[in-house]
Amino acid sequence: MFTSYLKRGVKAGVIAGLIFGLFMALVANPLVLFADELGQVDHHAVDGHHKEGTDSAHHDSAVSMTVTNGVSIISGVLWGLLLGGVIFGIAFYFLEPAIPGTGGMKSYLLAVAGFVTVSGAPWLVLPPQPPGVEQALPTETRLILYGGMMVAGALVCLLAGFVFGRLRDANGRIIAAIIAVLPFGLLVILAVLSPVNSVESSLPPELTAGLTGMIVFGQALLWLLLAGAHARLHRRQTDRQASEIMTSHTDATATAD
Amino acid sequence: MATANNTVHGRIEQARMELTPAQMGVGLALIAALGFALLFVQEPMMHDSMHNFRHAAGITCH
Repeated sequence: MFTSYLKRGVKAGVIAGLIFGLFMALVANPLVLFADELGQVDHHAVDGHHKEGTDSAHHDSAVSMTVTNGVSIISGVLWGLLLGGVIFGIAFYFLEPAIPGTGGMKSYLLAVAGFVTVSGAPWLVLPPQPPGVEQALPTETRLILYGGMMVAGALVCLLAGFVFGRLRDANGRIIAAIIAVLPFGLLVILAVLSPVNSVESSLPPELTAGLTGMIVFGQALLWLLLAGAHARLHRRQTDRQASEIMTSHTDATATAD
Repeated sequence: MATANNTVHGRIEQARMELTPAQMGVGLALIAALGFALLFVQEPMMHDSMHNFRHAAGITCH
């Protein structure tokens, strides 16, 4: 049973990952490259009197652009695969009885929880940044903050599910749902308390806004695809099981007659 | 099947019966390796190769 759940999660991951890889190739790669180049040009213009080359070390990539584009696309596919396997394979197997709703609804709710855990919560502290941005906090601190907010996001989602499950029978769905939303306020409190990461960017604000929008849209799309594919695969399996039971049932009655 | 594992606890018990510790270990190691590689590795070659992806996924980098 575990393996069939895992397989379904990985399948959903491959479907969503391939489409996200396509998104990487067609939208994200060119946009990030454009912003990168623009940032560098501006950088040089500002420090025009510096020697060429020494100053751009920050973004002189260790690998060629083709490699970056290729590996980024593959990473995108693997990203979908990882999220599909871990969230929709393993986590769904364990949490299915506790997730509110029925059928496909469970997949979509899990996708929301996954998005909050992997992206939403960390973004409250460290919003997605366009390339070439100078950030105040050192990388080490930011990695720890990002990881910490992922853990916090996961805990809050579990807490919300737990609260909903506890209150549903006694108070009805609507009140339970309203109270279950409250734990998400904890994330906002954490975000306010965490150290501030001030950023400095030479990019025009419109481009920055567009890039942030693209990033948020890309991740939301990925989770939607994961949930859609997973719900579909899940329904197909349940249908098949139901029809098998039906046929065995009718067989049994036929032989009984 | 429906009654025995329709709680989170039941699912955990069931997984414990179905999987060997070795399988669990290998699975967790794979997940950790892939997750770490995609999200946190800062080694310049790896990092620069995944530069666009990290930005597109909104993962913090450099």
